[in-house]
Amino acid sequence: MSVRPAGDFKISFAWDMALLDTRFYRVGFAVLVGTLALAPVLLGQYLFLLNTVGIFAIGAIGMSLLTGFAGQISLGHAAFMAIGAYTSWYVTTRLGLPFVVALPLAGVIAFVFGAFVGLPSLRIKGLYLAIATFAFHYVTEFVIIHTAGGMAGNVVPAAAFGRFLIRTETQFYYLLLPVWLIGGVFAANLVRGRVGLALMAVRDRDYAAQVLGVNLLYYKLLAFALAAFYAGIAGSLFAHYNKVIGAEHFSILSGIDYIAMIVIGGLTSIWGPHLGAALVILLNQGLRFVTPAIVELIPALSKAATPLREIVFGVLLIALLIWEPGGLAMLFRKLKRYLDLWPFPH
Amino acid sequence: MSLDFVLEGTMIGIAVGSIYALIALGFALLYKSTKILNLAHGELVLFGGYLAIALTRSLNLPVVAAFVLAVAGTLIAAAVLGFAVERFIMRPLYGQSLLSVIIVTLALGYIVRGLMVGLWGGDTRQFPPVVPTGVVRLGNLAIPEVGIWSAIVSLVLLLLFSLFFRYSLWGIAMRAAANEQLTASTLGVSLKRVFAYAWAFAAISGSVGGILLGLWLGVNFALGYVGLKALAAVILGGLDSIPGAILGGFIIGITENILGGYIDANVTLFGIQMYGFKEITPFVVILLVLLIKPYGLFGTEHIERL
Repeated sequence: MSVRPAGDFKISFAWDMALLDTRFYRVGFAVLVGTLALAPVLLGQYLFLLNTVGIFAIGAIGMSLLTGFAGQISLGHAAFMAIGAYTSWYVTTRLGLPFVVALPLAGVIAFVFGAFVGLPSLRIKGLYLAIATFAFHYVTEFVIIHTAGGMAGNVVPAAAFGRFLIRTETQFYYLLLPVWLIGGVFAANLVRGRVGLALMAVRDRDYAAQVLGVNLLYYKLLAFALAAFYAGIAGSLFAHYNKVIGAEHFSILSGIDYIAMIVIGGLTSIWGPHLGAALVILLNQGLRFVTPAIVELIPALSKAATPLREIVFGVLLIALLIWEPGGLAMLFRKLKRYLDLWPFPH
Repeated sequence: MSLDFVLEGTMIGIAVGSIYALIALGFALLYKSTKILNLAHGELVLFGGYLAIALTRSLNLPVVAAFVLAVAGTLIAAAVLGFAVERFIMRPLYGQSLLSVIIVTLALGYIVRGLMVGLWGGDTRQFPPVVPTGVVRLGNLAIPEVGIWSAIVSLVLLLLFSLFFRYSLWGIAMRAAANEQLTASTLGVSLKRVFAYAWAFAAISGSVGGILLGLWLGVNFALGYVGLKALAAVILGGLDSIPGAILGGFIIGITENILGGYIDANVTLFGIQMYGFKEITPFVVILLVLLIKPYGLFGTEHIERL
């Protein structure tokens, strides 16, 4: 079964640039979307896993644009998510506006903050920038705790369209899925177009990019702002999904999880953030299920139950990065290359 | 802000700052010689504190003897941990991107914290009374005796470390490698070994910091956040400057206690009580420093025209 052409037979530019360039991919993508659309039936009570994965995948898309494609390391991604979530909370509870307004507004406010936080990226680079975003995260957390009453938690109403309230997991899933798909496809399109090329040029060598006419200020700020936009949307969705938000939902650990997601998924792949988010979330939730079972078997481990999750998570991360630094996307790429000529070795 | 408040803040700031300086020193040295930003440094602090307490309590000896033995054991364990991390985690990753390495140090932090909390629980644990717990009074000032002791110990250690780097063969080799890796390796310095020593050294300095802070405040999982304050100190001093890291530690300790303490208790901004400001003072300092002097007080400046 050869699933990929054994060579390059593309005869037009549009074909070469197409995201889904062979019939196999087109059919495969259609099957994927179909499966996702039917997920509530297939997953049943486990749909909440996919909901969580979707929310964090949306945030991780932004992170991968910023870190994977534009090469700017940010440790403060959770802060943008918090900004989105609290915007959504403020807009729906205090201003009484509908969810349809709150969701894009959360993205836009985060976008503005992102552009502002991106400003230092012109002067400082690499680790220094990472630390500046780290500090930004703590300052945001402080402001949230002191203004919105963060620690106690704020109650967010369920998302509503007119009279129709989104209450169940399934209903929320059908709200999330279009946003997730649009976000993913938009990022994929952005990356293959002019903006994506400019971002990659900035990542690889920013002076060279500047000499070639890439406006550094514009593209660095754009990368930050877009990343923040995705995080803001994810934050707003999270707020209306979880219905309670507090500072502990957007801690620095969550910002670090985002980095783990894109590194695990694969830094420079449009599939990376989705795969990474799925792995990190499923691992987290899976260990949450597994540890009580282990404790029941071996009661001596009861004290170690909570930290066990951290340890397993850390070990898996290190193992994956030593074994395959390119992440899951690289594994898939290797599989693809193998399938190109299968069953022949060369 | 009364004079007494400032003086007391300065004294306590110096005491805490000397511990920060010690922790920051290991951090800066590791960064300087391996170019690795070790986000697990706070967990190394945690490691020292937890292990020393557990050892002190498990040894069936007079308190002081047990404590001394426990400290020695902890330092050896820290060195072993450092060597192991370098050999089994960092060496396979040489040449990988900055981000992968940062993630790996984070993962290492997860593991160390998980192990410590898993073995000994997340509650605050106190050392048995090995150092006097009284308060020294100077006029109107009250300074905890533990603070004075830990300040003395860390100052002595800072001195010892600087002598080590100045006169011992390995200290000179490490400085050489930190200064210019390629040249040092052509002159016969084994980089692998220097990296291993740098990790061991980072683990030891973190552990000593953990023990000192543990004597003062007790040990719980929040001790890991001290690593972040050391990060602030290092940024302030310039990432690759060792004197900068030490000075940065003192500055962070003092500003945290005077400015942070003052704002914490007295300032209301836009009608909001600023409680908890002390905890984020280091990060505000980081933001300001990066804004004004992006490469810190003594860091190497990469002057680039855009």
